[in-house]
This record gives sequence, C-alpha cells and structure tokens, in this order.
Amino acid sequence: MNELALLENYLIVGALLFGIGLVGFFSRRNMIVMFLSAEMMLQGVSVSLVAWSRFHNDWGGQMLVIFILTVAACEAAIALAIVLTMFHKRGSLDIAVWQQLREENQPPYLENAAELPPEEPEPEWPRLTPSGIEPAADLEETTHRSHV
Amino acid sequence: MTTGWIPTLLVLIPSLPLLAAIVTAIFGRGLLRANSHLPTVVALVCAFVASLMLLFEVRSLDDARSLDDGAMIGWEATVDVWNWVDVPAAIATPVAARPSADAAALPATLPFSINVTLRADALTAIMLSMVTFVSSLVAIYASGYMHGDRGYWRFFSYISLFVFSMVMLVSVSNFVMLYVFWEAVGLCSYLLIGFWYEKPPAAAAAKKAFLVNRIGDFGFALGLFLIWTTYGTLNFHDAGGIAGVLGQTRLADPSVYVGGDIATAICLLLLLGACGKSAQFPLHVWLPDAMEGPTPVSALIHAATMVTAGVYMVTRCTPLFMLSPTAQNVVAVIGLTTAAIGGIIAMTQTDLKRVLAYSTISQLGYMFLGLGVATIGGITAGMFHLFTHAFFKACLFLGAGSVMHAMGGVIDMRRFGGLRRLMPITHGTFLFGCLALAGVVPFAGFWSKDAILAAAYEKGAHDDLFYALYWGGLIVAFMTAIYTFRAFFLTFYGPERIPHEAGHHAHESPRSMTLPLVILAFCSLTVGAYFEWTGGFADFLARTPSLAYQGLAAHAEHDSGAHALVATVSTVLALAGVGLAAFLYLGDPAQVMAIRRLLMPLYLLSYGKMFFDPIYNVLFVWPLWLLSRISYWFDRTVIDGIVNLAGRVPLVVGSGLRSLQSGMVQFYAVAMVWGVIVLVITLLVWPALASNWK
Repeated sequence: MNELALLENYLIVGALLFGIGLVGFFSRRNMIVMFLSAEMMLQGVSVSLVAWSRFHNDWGGQMLVIFILTVAACEAAIALAIVLTMFHKRGSLDIAVWQQLREENQPPYLENAAELPPEEPEPEWPRLTPSGIEPAADLEETTHRSHV
Repeated sequence: MTTGWIPTLLVLIPSLPLLAAIVTAIFGRGLLRANSHLPTVVALVCAFVASLMLLFEVRSLDDARSLDDGAMIGWEATVDVWNWVDVPAAIATPVAARPSADAAALPATLPFSINVTLRADALTAIMLSMVTFVSSLVAIYASGYMHGDRGYWRFFSYISLFVFSMVMLVSVSNFVMLYVFWEAVGLCSYLLIGFWYEKPPAAAAAKKAFLVNRIGDFGFALGLFLIWTTYGTLNFHDAGGIAGVLGQTRLADPSVYVGGDIATAICLLLLLGACGKSAQFPLHVWLPDAMEGPTPVSALIHAATMVTAGVYMVTRCTPLFMLSPTAQNVVAVIGLTTAAIGGIIAMTQTDLKRVLAYSTISQLGYMFLGLGVATIGGITAGMFHLFTHAFFKACLFLGAGSVMHAMGGVIDMRRFGGLRRLMPITHGTFLFGCLALAGVVPFAGFWSKDAILAAAYEKGAHDDLFYALYWGGLIVAFMTAIYTFRAFFLTFYGPERIPHEAGHHAHESPRSMTLPLVILAFCSLTVGAYFEWTGGFADFLARTPSLAYQGLAAHAEHDSGAHALVATVSTVLALAGVGLAAFLYLGDPAQVMAIRRLLMPLYLLSYGKMFFDPIYNVLFVWPLWLLSRISYWFDRTVIDGIVNLAGRVPLVVGSGLRSLQSGMVQFYAVAMVWGVIVLVITLLVWPALASNWK
C-alpha cells in the first residue's frame, strides 16, 4: 500500500471519528455522553494529525498529539469533576437542567417541563450587626445665621 | 529717571492683599476660623501705608525731576513684572502706530506683546490710596459685622482678592491687563453679592450683576480690538520702541492720534464698558439689586471702589476722548441722565440700602458729567467727586449696615424709626455722611459737586448743551438733598420704632464697627475742604500724563467768579432740599400722604424704579426666554430624537436576535459549526468566484 492510500485511510477514520463525535455532541443531552463525544472529536483530529505527520515525515504533528493527549487527560479530570458536582447539585445528568445562560424573558427549551427537578432556594447567609460610632452633627450647620 | 522706592512699593501693594487672600483661603476654614479677618486687615493696612508712601514718593520725585527728564509730560514711572504674551509680527503696522515724522522708519509688522507692567503716576497713586484706605476700614468694620457668620473666612478671602484685583486694575499699564482685572473685580463682585447664596434673591442679584456687566464688557472688548487695529499696541506707556496709546511720544504730539469716526467708535465702546461697571444708564439696573450682598460689600465694592472703575478708565483714556467731541457729549448726557434717574428713584424707596444704592448711581452720573465736560477742570472735578464720594458713601453704607445690624437684619425704613437715642454714634456719623452727600458747606461732597457744576457752567458759556446740563445738575443736587435727608429723618427721627426681629437687644454696634464710621465721618467733613483750600488734589492729579498733555491743557481756563456763583446757588438748593425734607418728614405724615396723592403718577414712576426692570424683561428677558424655550424644545425633541433613534437601532436588532440565546449548549455548538462552515466556504469558494468575475 503506498503512502497516499495509507494517508487517505487514516484521514477517513479521523473524519469518521470527528463526525460521529459531532453528531453525538449535538444529539445527546446526557452530560457524560456529550463529554465522551467531544473526546471522540478530539481523537479524530489527533488521528489525522498523526497521519499528516507521517505523510510529511515531520515529527511536529506527533509531538502535537502528545500534547493533545496530555491536555485531554487534564480536561477529562476537570470536566468529570464538574459533571459530578453538577449532578450532586440537581440530581440529574440532563444538560437541559442548566439553561440559565439564556437571554432574559426567553422560555427554557424543553420537551416536557415536568422532567426538570425543582430549583434550589438561595442559601441564607448570617448577618453582621452594624458597629462603629455615629457621626456627630455639624455644629456650624445648626448655628448658622443666613441673614445678618 | 530715578524711581526711588517706587518699584518696590508698586509690587508690594498688590502682593499683600493677594497673599492675604491665599492664606485666608487655605487656612481660613480649619486654622484661622474666627481670626480669619487678621491676615486681610493686616495686609490692607500695610498696603495703605505703602500706598501713602507711594503717593509721597511720586510727589517728591515729580517735584525733583527738573534735571534729567524735564521734558516729560506729567510724571510716570513703570515697572515690568512679567512678559505675559509676546507674539512677534502679529499685525501689519498701522499708519497711526507712531508719529508721522518717522513713518518711513516704521517696521513692516508689530509684535503683540502683553507686559504685566505696573505704573505709578498721580492718578494711580490717588486711586491706590483711596482704595486701600476705604478697604482697610471696611475690613475692620466687617470683622465686627460678619462676626459669627459661617462663611467668615470665605468673606475675607474674597475681600482680599477684590482689593488685589482693584489695586491691579488701577496700576496696570496695558489695556489687556486692565480688562483682565476689570473682569477680576467683576468676579469678586459676583462672589460677594452672592455671598449668602442660599438666599434666592442674593443668587439672582449676583447673576444679574454678572450678566449686565457682560454687556458692558463686550463693548469694552470691542473697543480694545479697535484700539489694537488702529494703533498697533495696547500699552499705555512707550515700550520696546513702540509708542503706547497713552505714552509720552504720542502725548508730546497729539496730532498723531486718529480722529474722526474711529475715535468716536473707540470712545463709545469704552464708554459702554464704563457704563456696565459704573452702573450708568442704561446698564445701571444691576447695582440696586447688588445690595443683597453683605453691607460691607455694598460699601466697599458697590459704592466706594469697584463702581468707580469706569470713571477711572475714562479719566485714564482722556486723550482718546479728547479726539471726539461727540463722545464727550454722550458721556456728559449719559452722566446727567443717570444722575437724574438715580435721584428720582431714590426719592421714594423704602429700603435704606436701596436709597443709598440709587444715590450711588446718581453720584456716579455726576462724575461722568464732570468727565464729559472734558476740560481739565471738569475731569479733575469728576475724579475729585470720586475721591470724596468714596469716603462719605462708605460712611453712609457702613452706617446703614450698623442700623441693619441692630435691627436684626431689617432695612425697611417703614419698620423702624427714631433711632438717634439708641444709636448715637451711628446717628452722628450718618448725619455727617448725609451732609456731605447733600452737598452742604463745608462737607466733602459740596466741594467736589460744586467743582463739577462749575466746570459745566464754564463750558456752558460756549456750548448751550452744557448750560442745560448745568441746570439739570442743579436740580439733581436739590433732589439729592431731599432724598438723603428723607432717609436720615425716617431712620433716626420721629417716634422710636424697633422691629420685632431686633428682639430686646437692639443696641449700638461694637467698637470695631463704630471706629471706621467715625474715621470715615471725619474724612467726610475734612477731605473736601482740605484739598479745595490747598488746591492739592486738582494740581496733583493734573500731573498725570493723560491729563497733563497739551491737547487738554489748551482747554484749561478758570473763572473764579462763576465758581462763587455756582457755589452759592448749589448751597441754597442743598439747604432748601434739607429744609423741605425736614418740613415733610419731621412734621405731620398726613402732609406727605397729601403730596403723594397730588403727584401720584410721579410717585408711582419713582416707586416703581421707573419700570426699568419690567421694560427690560419685556424687551430682552422674555424674548431670550422664549428663544431658549424653543431651543430647549428643539434640542430635546429633534437633536435628542436623532440620538435616541441611533441608540434604539441596536435594541431592535438585539430583540430580534435574542431568541438565538437559548441557553442550550447544543444550540451554541450548532451555531459554531455553522460559523465554521460559512468561513470555510468563504475561504474556498470566494477566491474562485472572484477570479471568475475578473
């Protein structure tokens, strides 16, 4: 198999990975599945990078992929932590629960409203009692003669 | 030319009040508090001493000058302090820039330079002494009068600033600097009229004074422009090889002045400025309202000093006014008109300070009448009246302030009366002031007013206009005596009445207030007679370069017979006026009411202040108000409408795009992908399309 055919195969695999990831990201509302789809897009890009790197005989692409893998690992750790926290807060993995970033007066996007768990009430913070000295009244102000 | 101590003194006199103003402004509120008057009083008294030294120095140097500058016209010395502006080649040299004799040697262009140059001559020395003397006394008086006011320090800071500006106004030697300090005294006047700015009438009066003065200043500025284009310099004195407008070179040969319509235009424009500052008809309306300020301010600024700036300026510019007989006549006619208007209105006013304000207007009119006569006798008489008026009018105003102080701020003569036992010192000093104002022998006002009338009478021998003005002046003198003593009798005689605002502690004023009163009353008695008998004032003043030059000296003549006649007539009229006032206001009030009914139209005219304010309202204020309402409407609807329209466009567009912002993450991802697709298509397809179209 010559180099060009090899490149094409790899690129096709990369594009497929990217496309499947994209469609998955668009169509699923489960946060973990969305996250996995995003990872899949990333890997699709990495595959094509590696393929081009081999084709051009340039190690830069491979090096970049190592970087991407590292970043992806970090990102996975953070993203899963966020997802976990969000799940703790509302008891659901549905991304539709987190629509607060929309424009004001805009109805939430929902297929059936009953799916959503109720919003949490604002926590009540303790209040400090005011302290310090009350400022004294201006003497000149009170004894002022407007007219001599 | 030896100048002795003069440079030091000239710089010292304005710097002392300026220093006091700055010190009081910085430390007054926190540190000095109730002692805020100290820097001002000390600085002003020192400035007065310095002014006196300057006066004697000018006199002695003038006497001793015969050796090296015997050819000098009058006597003057100048001190350059600072070169403020220096623009080379600012104007193509006008023909009148220098004496015609060396016209060929003229440079092609002249520089525009403004030197802060202080000058010493007789006129300046007299004005300096008068200003610093009256202001020292007023400052001492105010330390008692303003005691306990929350703006005590502010008051003294303003007063010092005012004295600085006034002192500079009379000692600078350049028209632009004159204009600068002309404005500076106007600013101080504004600040001090509106000193009690919480009182709406005071704030309105301050605004009115400022705006009316603006009209005069506009004329003054135009006059300066015309002088600049005509003579190519704005200096009074000769400087840098260029002959000053009022400098020695020009005075030595008066034929190099530009006459004709330009001279008349310059003089009338300068006169408009003087009318604004010196409250002459038709710009006199601001002065009565200015009485809303504290009484020491009325005494110092709106009676004794600032309002005489116009008289000073016209006197200083005598060589210019001598070129235009028309302008001289206008000055004289405006002077008498103003004197008559002031006199008529003062007859029926019930507010003591307003009576004095209108009498100030009237007396300033007298001064202008004297200047309009435009003989050496007339001009020195006008300045002499300025000088004596400063003393007795300050005395009267401070007396009125003393009454107001005791009456708890009430100044309406219908509400008090018979105060002579309660306030003996105020009564006595006020009497002296009244006698001087009414022109009774031998008080100060008699001599100066008489000199003005005599000058008009002498000129009347050649010119019927001035004969008419002389008779008008006599009638005004009669009115002056009546209204002065009307105010005096209403305040101090009759049954004792005290308004309830005064409470139970209506009393004579403290020592700090009565002392200046006594000094000023003494001056009201003596200054006129002293200078008249020694002849010192007119002779000394005539050594001012502007008054000593040939063009004016040619008019000098003196007829002592006429003097005696005028003096007799005016004395008889003054005594008749005093007698009439005594008959009317010491007698049965029913008489006054009967006369009032008899002369109802005249009474209404006078009581309504000749309806100047309503007339000006209809002529100027309402049209301007209407115009401003229309402009306001135009601005609010049309201009703001366009701006608001521009502001609404993003709102409308935004409301259309708002539904895109749904908050669903997938939606944003789709938008991103669409964006990328559009970008890619543009990048790939657009160059291909573009190359096809070529």
